[in-house]
Amino acid sequence: MKEGDSITEVIKEITSEQILLYAEASGDFNPIHINTKFAEDSQFGRNIAHGMMIAASISESMSLTFGPSWHDSGKVKIRFRSPAYPGDTVTASGQIKKILPLLDEGTEIRCSVSVTNQAGEAIISGTSSVIITG
Amino acid sequence: MDSKEHDKKISYSELEIGTIVSKQSYLLDRESVQKYILAVEDSTNSTVAESSNIAPPMSIAALSLRGVVNDLNIPGGTLHIGQELSFLKTVPVGMYLECEAVLSSNSVRGDFRFMVVDLSVRDDVKDHVMKGKSTIMLPVDISN
Repeated sequence: MKEGDSITEVIKEITSEQILLYAEASGDFNPIHINTKFAEDSQFGRNIAHGMMIAASISESMSLTFGPSWHDSGKVKIRFRSPAYPGDTVTASGQIKKILPLLDEGTEIRCSVSVTNQAGEAIISGTSSVIITG
Repeated sequence: MDSKEHDKKISYSELEIGTIVSKQSYLLDRESVQKYILAVEDSTNSTVAESSNIAPPMSIAALSLRGVVNDLNIPGGTLHIGQELSFLKTVPVGMYLECEAVLSSNSVRGDFRFMVVDLSVRDDVKDHVMKGKSTIMLPVDISN
Protein backbone atom coordinates (compact mmCIF):
# COMPACT_ATOMS: atom_id res chain seq x y z
CA MET A 1 0.00 0.00 0.00
CA LYS A 2 1.50 3.35 -1.03
CA GLU A 3 0.57 6.96 -1.63
CA GLY A 4 -1.31 7.32 -4.89
CA ASP A 5 -2.96 3.91 -4.65
CA SER A 6 -6.70 3.77 -5.19
CA ILE A 7 -9.06 2.47 -2.55
CA THR A 8 -11.60 -0.19 -3.44
CA GLU A 9 -14.31 1.14 -5.73
CA VAL A 10 -17.93 0.53 -4.74
CA ILE A 11 -20.73 0.88 -7.29
CA LYS A 12 -24.42 1.07 -6.40
CA GLU A 13 -27.63 1.54 -8.33
CA ILE A 14 -30.09 3.76 -6.51
CA THR A 15 -33.72 2.72 -6.49
CA SER A 16 -36.88 4.13 -4.92
CA GLU A 17 -37.28 0.86 -3.05
CA GLN A 18 -33.83 1.25 -1.49
CA ILE A 19 -34.60 4.84 -0.49
CA LEU A 20 -37.76 3.70 1.25
CA LEU A 21 -35.84 0.91 2.98
CA TYR A 22 -33.24 3.42 4.14
CA ALA A 23 -35.98 5.73 5.45
CA GLU A 24 -37.32 2.85 7.52
CA ALA A 25 -33.87 1.76 8.69
CA SER A 26 -32.75 5.27 9.64
CA GLY A 27 -36.05 6.75 10.76
CA ASP A 28 -35.53 9.67 8.39
CA PHE A 29 -38.86 10.16 6.63
CA ASN A 30 -38.15 13.62 5.21
CA PRO A 31 -40.71 13.91 2.38
CA ILE A 32 -38.02 15.03 -0.05
CA HIS A 33 -36.94 11.37 -0.04
CA ILE A 34 -40.22 9.48 0.00
CA ASN A 35 -43.12 11.75 -1.00
CA THR A 36 -43.35 12.10 -4.78
CA LYS A 37 -45.68 15.13 -4.80
CA PHE A 38 -43.59 17.00 -2.24
CA ALA A 39 -40.40 16.26 -4.18
CA GLU A 40 -41.95 17.32 -7.50
CA ASP A 41 -42.69 20.73 -6.00
CA SER A 42 -39.17 21.05 -4.60
CA GLN A 43 -36.06 22.51 -6.21
CA PHE A 44 -35.06 18.98 -7.25
CA GLY A 45 -38.28 18.09 -9.08
CA ARG A 46 -38.22 14.49 -7.87
CA ASN A 47 -37.27 12.35 -4.90
CA ILE A 48 -33.64 12.29 -3.85
CA ALA A 49 -31.70 9.68 -1.90
CA HIS A 50 -30.64 10.29 1.69
CA GLY A 51 -27.12 11.70 1.75
CA MET A 52 -26.09 9.25 4.45
CA MET A 53 -27.33 6.33 2.34
CA ILE A 54 -24.91 7.40 -0.40
CA ALA A 55 -22.18 8.11 2.15
CA ALA A 56 -22.45 4.50 3.31
CA SER A 57 -20.70 3.49 0.09
CA ILE A 58 -17.62 5.48 1.20
CA SER A 59 -17.60 3.62 4.51
CA GLU A 60 -17.97 0.35 2.62
CA SER A 61 -15.06 1.27 0.37
CA MET A 62 -12.85 2.14 3.35
CA SER A 63 -13.87 -1.05 5.15
CA LEU A 64 -13.12 -3.19 2.07
CA THR A 65 -9.73 -1.51 1.69
CA PHE A 66 -8.55 -1.32 5.30
CA GLY A 67 -10.55 -4.00 7.09
CA PRO A 68 -11.62 -3.89 10.74
CA SER A 69 -9.38 -0.88 11.51
CA TRP A 70 -12.05 1.25 9.85
CA HIS A 71 -14.53 0.26 12.58
CA ASP A 72 -12.51 1.62 15.49
CA SER A 73 -10.24 4.30 14.01
CA GLY A 74 -11.98 5.53 10.86
CA LYS A 75 -12.66 9.19 10.29
CA VAL A 76 -14.52 10.84 7.45
CA LYS A 77 -15.29 14.44 6.59
CA ILE A 78 -17.60 14.93 3.64
CA ARG A 79 -19.76 17.47 1.86
CA PHE A 80 -22.95 16.53 0.09
CA ARG A 81 -22.52 18.43 -3.17
CA SER A 82 -25.49 17.34 -5.25
CA PRO A 83 -28.30 14.85 -4.87
CA ALA A 84 -28.49 11.28 -6.08
CA TYR A 85 -31.78 10.29 -7.69
CA PRO A 86 -33.54 6.97 -8.15
CA GLY A 87 -32.11 5.42 -11.31
CA ASP A 88 -28.64 6.84 -10.74
CA THR A 89 -25.58 4.64 -10.60
CA VAL A 90 -23.14 6.00 -8.05
CA THR A 91 -19.48 5.11 -7.61
CA ALA A 92 -17.53 5.58 -4.40
CA SER A 93 -13.80 5.86 -4.92
CA GLY A 94 -10.73 7.44 -3.45
CA GLN A 95 -7.01 7.64 -3.33
CA ILE A 96 -4.37 7.32 -0.62
CA LYS A 97 -2.85 10.77 -0.19
CA LYS A 98 -0.59 10.38 2.82
CA ILE A 99 0.87 7.52 4.85
CA LEU A 100 2.11 8.83 8.18
CA PRO A 101 3.94 6.70 10.77
CA LEU A 102 2.64 7.46 14.26
CA LEU A 103 4.91 8.11 17.22
CA ASP A 104 3.45 5.44 19.47
CA GLU A 105 2.34 2.66 17.17
CA GLY A 106 0.87 2.14 13.75
CA THR A 107 0.34 4.20 10.66
CA GLU A 108 -2.25 6.79 9.77
CA ILE A 109 -3.48 6.58 6.22
CA ARG A 110 -5.20 9.67 4.81
CA CYS A 111 -7.33 9.48 1.70
CA SER A 112 -9.41 11.62 -0.58
CA VAL A 113 -12.86 10.16 -1.12
CA SER A 114 -15.75 10.91 -3.44
CA VAL A 115 -18.99 9.59 -4.82
CA THR A 116 -19.90 10.42 -8.41
CA ASN A 117 -22.92 9.63 -10.52
CA GLN A 118 -23.02 8.02 -13.97
CA ALA A 119 -22.35 11.42 -15.58
CA GLY A 120 -19.24 11.89 -13.46
CA GLU A 121 -20.84 14.63 -11.36
CA ALA A 122 -19.71 14.85 -7.75
CA ILE A 123 -22.39 13.76 -5.30
CA ILE A 124 -20.09 13.68 -2.26
CA SER A 125 -16.49 14.70 -1.80
CA GLY A 126 -14.20 14.76 1.19
CA THR A 127 -11.43 13.11 3.11
CA SER A 128 -11.08 10.05 5.29
CA SER A 129 -8.42 8.46 7.44
CA VAL A 130 -7.74 5.26 9.28
CA ILE A 131 -5.05 4.01 11.66
CA ILE A 132 -3.47 0.67 10.89
CA THR A 133 -1.65 -1.10 13.71
CA GLY A 134 0.34 -4.30 13.87
CA MET B 1 -42.60 7.68 14.14
CA ASP B 2 -44.57 9.27 16.93
CA SER B 3 -47.06 11.61 15.25
CA LYS B 4 -47.24 13.83 18.35
CA GLU B 5 -43.48 14.27 18.20
CA HIS B 6 -43.66 15.03 14.50
CA ASP B 7 -46.35 17.68 15.02
CA LYS B 8 -44.50 19.65 17.67
CA LYS B 9 -43.40 23.15 16.65
CA ILE B 10 -39.82 24.21 17.17
CA SER B 11 -38.63 27.78 16.93
CA TYR B 12 -35.25 27.18 15.36
CA SER B 13 -34.22 30.82 15.64
CA GLU B 14 -34.49 30.56 19.43
CA LEU B 15 -32.33 27.46 19.78
CA GLU B 16 -29.16 28.43 21.61
CA ILE B 17 -25.67 27.07 21.15
CA GLY B 18 -25.06 24.29 23.64
CA THR B 19 -28.66 23.10 23.68
CA ILE B 20 -29.00 19.35 23.85
CA VAL B 21 -31.35 18.88 20.92
CA SER B 22 -31.61 15.13 21.29
CA LYS B 23 -30.72 12.49 23.83
CA GLN B 24 -31.95 8.99 23.08
CA SER B 25 -31.07 5.44 23.94
CA TYR B 26 -31.41 2.69 21.36
CA LEU B 27 -30.95 -1.01 21.27
CA LEU B 28 -28.88 -1.85 18.22
CA ASP B 29 -30.73 -5.06 17.59
CA ARG B 30 -30.08 -7.60 14.88
CA GLU B 31 -33.28 -6.76 13.02
CA SER B 32 -32.43 -3.07 12.67
CA VAL B 33 -28.85 -3.85 11.61
CA GLN B 34 -30.14 -6.30 9.00
CA LYS B 35 -32.57 -3.67 7.73
CA TYR B 36 -29.74 -1.14 7.48
CA ILE B 37 -27.46 -3.56 5.61
CA LEU B 38 -30.26 -4.38 3.18
CA ALA B 39 -30.95 -0.68 2.55
CA VAL B 40 -27.35 0.25 1.77
CA GLU B 41 -26.44 -3.14 0.23
CA ASP B 42 -23.27 -3.25 2.30
CA SER B 43 -21.16 -6.08 0.89
CA THR B 44 -18.62 -5.91 3.71
CA ASN B 45 -21.30 -6.71 6.21
CA SER B 46 -23.47 -9.01 4.18
CA THR B 47 -22.80 -11.81 6.61
CA VAL B 48 -22.96 -9.76 9.79
CA ALA B 49 -26.45 -10.83 10.62
CA GLU B 50 -25.68 -14.52 10.31
CA SER B 51 -22.10 -15.11 11.32
CA SER B 52 -20.62 -11.98 12.81
CA ASN B 53 -21.66 -9.70 15.58
CA ILE B 54 -20.30 -6.37 14.37
CA ALA B 55 -22.51 -3.49 13.28
CA PRO B 56 -21.49 -1.41 10.25
CA PRO B 57 -20.07 1.86 11.61
CA MET B 58 -22.37 3.92 9.43
CA SER B 59 -25.37 2.20 10.98
CA ILE B 60 -24.30 3.84 14.26
CA ALA B 61 -24.16 7.19 12.49
CA ALA B 62 -27.64 6.64 11.06
CA LEU B 63 -28.92 5.79 14.51
CA SER B 64 -27.43 8.93 16.03
CA LEU B 65 -29.04 11.06 13.32
CA ARG B 66 -32.44 9.48 13.93
CA GLY B 67 -32.81 11.33 17.21
CA VAL B 68 -31.78 14.62 15.60
CA VAL B 69 -34.29 14.26 12.78
CA ASN B 70 -37.12 13.35 15.12
CA ASP B 71 -36.40 15.49 18.18
CA LEU B 72 -35.58 18.58 16.14
CA ASN B 73 -38.68 17.86 14.04
CA ILE B 74 -36.62 18.59 10.93
CA PRO B 75 -39.03 20.03 8.35
CA GLY B 76 -39.37 18.77 4.79
CA GLY B 77 -37.07 20.75 2.56
CA THR B 78 -34.18 20.53 5.01
CA LEU B 79 -30.92 19.48 3.36
CA HIS B 80 -28.02 17.62 4.93
CA ILE B 81 -24.97 19.37 3.51
CA GLY B 82 -22.01 18.14 5.52
CA GLN B 83 -20.97 15.35 7.83
CA GLU B 84 -17.95 14.50 9.93
CA LEU B 85 -17.64 11.16 11.70
CA SER B 86 -15.04 9.48 13.90
CA PHE B 87 -15.49 5.80 14.66
CA LEU B 88 -13.82 5.07 17.97
CA LYS B 89 -14.80 1.56 18.98
CA THR B 90 -16.22 -1.52 17.31
CA VAL B 91 -19.88 -1.96 18.21
CA PRO B 92 -21.41 -5.41 18.53
CA VAL B 93 -24.99 -6.08 17.55
CA GLY B 94 -27.21 -6.12 20.63
CA MET B 95 -25.52 -3.15 22.30
CA TYR B 96 -27.52 -0.39 23.96
CA LEU B 97 -26.29 2.97 22.69
CA GLU B 98 -26.83 6.42 24.11
CA CYS B 99 -26.91 9.09 21.42
CA GLU B 100 -26.62 12.78 22.24
CA ALA B 101 -26.77 15.74 19.90
CA VAL B 102 -25.76 19.26 20.92
CA LEU B 103 -26.30 22.38 18.84
CA SER B 104 -22.92 23.98 18.10
CA SER B 105 -23.87 26.59 15.50
CA ASN B 106 -27.11 28.27 14.39
CA SER B 107 -26.87 31.02 11.81
CA VAL B 108 -28.73 32.52 8.87
CA ARG B 109 -27.16 33.27 5.51
CA GLY B 110 -29.43 34.59 2.79
CA ASP B 111 -32.58 32.50 2.58
CA PHE B 112 -31.20 29.63 4.61
CA ARG B 113 -30.57 28.73 8.22
CA PHE B 114 -27.45 26.67 8.84
CA MET B 115 -27.36 24.49 11.92
CA VAL B 116 -24.42 22.40 13.10
CA VAL B 117 -25.06 19.60 15.55
CA ASP B 118 -22.32 17.74 17.43
CA LEU B 119 -23.08 14.05 17.78
CA SER B 120 -21.77 11.63 20.36
CA VAL B 121 -22.61 7.99 20.87
CA ARG B 122 -21.63 5.98 23.95
CA ASP B 123 -21.95 2.28 24.60
CA ASP B 124 -23.26 0.59 27.73
CA VAL B 125 -19.96 1.13 29.59
CA LYS B 126 -20.07 4.84 28.66
CA ASP B 127 -17.19 4.61 26.20
CA HIS B 128 -17.49 6.83 23.17
CA VAL B 129 -18.00 4.65 20.11
CA MET B 130 -18.60 7.50 17.66
CA LYS B 131 -18.40 11.27 17.50
CA GLY B 132 -19.54 13.46 14.66
CA LYS B 133 -20.73 16.77 13.38
CA SER B 134 -23.72 17.27 11.08
CA THR B 135 -24.44 20.40 9.10
CA ILE B 136 -27.98 20.94 7.89
CA MET B 137 -29.55 23.74 5.87
CA LEU B 138 -33.19 24.79 6.34
CA PRO B 139 -35.12 27.35 4.30
CA VAL B 140 -35.54 30.41 6.56
CA ASP B 141 -39.24 30.71 5.75
CA ILE B 142 -39.94 27.39 7.46
CA SER B 143 -37.29 27.57 10.15
CA ASN B 144 -38.00 30.71 12.18
